[in-house]
Amino acid sequence: MKEVLFWIGAIGAIGGAAAVVALRNPFYSVLALIAHLVSIAGLFLILQAEFIAAAQVVVYAGAVMVLYVFVAAYVGGIEEPKLDAIPGQRPLAFLVGAAIFIELSIAIVASGLLALDSGGPEVALGFGSPAGVGKLMLERFLIAFEAASLLLLIAAIGAVVLAERRRRDESDAEEALG
Amino acid sequence: MTFNQPTIDYAGLSPLIALVATLCVVIIASIIPRVGRFSVALLTLIGFATTAGLTIWQWGASENLVSNALRIDDIGSMAILIALLAAAGTVLLSLREPAAYTAGHGAYYALLIGSVMGMVVLAQSINLISFFVGLELLSIPLYVLCGAAVRRKESLESGLKYLIVGSLGSATLLYGFALIYGATGSTNFGVIAEELTSAQLASDTLVLAGVAMAVVGIAFKLSLAPFHQWAPDVYEGAPTPITAFMAVATKAVVFVAFARLLEQGLGELSGIWSDALAVLAVISIVIGNVGAIGQRSIKRLLGYSGIAQGGYILVGLVVVSTEGAGAMIFYLAVYALANLAVFAPLVARERESGFGDDVNGIAGIGRTRPWLAWPMTIGVLSMIGLPGTAGFIGKLFLIQAAVDGDYTWLAVVVVIGTVVSLGYYLRLLSAIWMEPQPDAPNTQSPMPVIAGGAPEADASAGGREEVPPGSSRCVLVVGTGVICAAATVLLGIYPEQLIQWATEAGEAITRAVGL
Repeated sequence: MKEVLFWIGAIGAIGGAAAVVALRNPFYSVLALIAHLVSIAGLFLILQAEFIAAAQVVVYAGAVMVLYVFVAAYVGGIEEPKLDAIPGQRPLAFLVGAAIFIELSIAIVASGLLALDSGGPEVALGFGSPAGVGKLMLERFLIAFEAASLLLLIAAIGAVVLAERRRRDESDAEEALG
Repeated sequence: MTFNQPTIDYAGLSPLIALVATLCVVIIASIIPRVGRFSVALLTLIGFATTAGLTIWQWGASENLVSNALRIDDIGSMAILIALLAAAGTVLLSLREPAAYTAGHGAYYALLIGSVMGMVVLAQSINLISFFVGLELLSIPLYVLCGAAVRRKESLESGLKYLIVGSLGSATLLYGFALIYGATGSTNFGVIAEELTSAQLASDTLVLAGVAMAVVGIAFKLSLAPFHQWAPDVYEGAPTPITAFMAVATKAVVFVAFARLLEQGLGELSGIWSDALAVLAVISIVIGNVGAIGQRSIKRLLGYSGIAQGGYILVGLVVVSTEGAGAMIFYLAVYALANLAVFAPLVARERESGFGDDVNGIAGIGRTRPWLAWPMTIGVLSMIGLPGTAGFIGKLFLIQAAVDGDYTWLAVVVVIGTVVSLGYYLRLLSAIWMEPQPDAPNTQSPMPVIAGGAPEADASAGGREEVPPGSSRCVLVVGTGVICAAATVLLGIYPEQLIQWATEAGEAITRAVGL
């Protein structure tokens, strides 16, 4: 059962990621990304990380992707701008990408796969459950948790800075026109 | 499941707490209608001064905070102090900055404080998670600040470029961290170091791939060649005070965090990463110095020279010694002062000359504006490393550390790089002192449109938010430059105190962080 679920998730994740890059229509790319994220959530579930799996579906496949769909719907259909690529960039990018892929494959095959036949690590009861994650956030990773909340505050201020200027100008323009 | 409250050392966390309080006060103060931009800036400066005071109060402490997330020690404190110095200088330079007007002064300073908060977390973090969160808290406000001058297309380009390249760097770093965690089973530097020794993971390919990706990710943030392409564009497009802040504070803090990760976490692998870093240092020195030659935009030139300077500073890490770490932190401190001494006059000239940051803008100011010309000259001389300035002593220590650590060839590369760098640094000096002042271009150009905005939206908005005239003779901008230049000369003649602090900081890095 586990193996079947793993292969479904793995094929979905890799296929989805490849489709995001390969598809020309941005809207289909977004749909492929959703398939990718849901597959990853399935893999998390096999790893007994229920909370992360749920968060993945709710936050990414849900909220963030809705945003993407909106953006794709708004700006979709615009001709792709022609980028003047640096000469030799494409083959070079392909070469470097292949090199990194080989490097990571060696790393994972050489040491990661050693654990393939073992039953995996022993995890305590409640590992990866909401309660377990919450406990980690308030105990071991308290500082990171608090810093992340400050990060959200700062990001909100930044978003206001970037958006407010434009909006105020536009409302001024409406006044001038009307 | 029982909850075990972690021990929270409020004294050790006090610099961070002071910054959070400053952030809240500044945000609230900025929405009160009668509080002007001077009050907001003053509150920010008071907050930075308090933080600096608390950091100095904690000097000499050496302990882990809150379940081994942060570590308070001298090298972290030194990095925080440099970051605060740069941030305070940035506040003084930003008072009449157009970008601060368009963003709103409260939000502008709040973002700056947020970035400094990230720097405090990053400089002290001894855990992969707090390291990453600190780095993001440092970067995200900077992405916005780079793009804050919405009336300049280059500024938006700068913000977007920095966002994309920065995210790429963060993703690479995170991938590396994931591999390191996968191999060692912990995010804690102390446990990682322990595992690398006891479980004999030193030749484990998973760890090595993780280290490689983490180094690449950090090299992106430090704009070390060949991961530097974004730096000149971002430096040129960002509002000039923000460029100064990025050049000084980000570099100091990320270098210290890098040193912590490599020496306290991955010290077992030093034989492997030090050679890789030596190669990065050489490439950075070559590309930075060659790229800077022939630049007409001073900010671009400083961007390239910053890449080369990053290469010099990296030498302190390559040699893996207390001496090297001390030399690194000493150089970072004097580099900060020299940079502020160059950027302050640049900010002033950018506003009054009409040439922007072109070399023409500083031509001939030796005769007309000596209070701007001298700090810039001293700053440039310190970056070259002329005897009598603090930069000379910094470079001397770096070269000495390289020779003592059996990297004599690297010391030779540093010296050759310095000679090449004369080519562009001296051009700045000759522009200041020997060229005649060119006629000002037509400064009465209409206000540029909002980049990406509708022209009719601009027609009504324009003119309302003009920066007040008479901004050229700002005492604060000139004063920042003069003070930093004076400190550069003073530290060039009496460096003993800073040497002692740097030595103490260097010793802190080699102490094991414990579990």
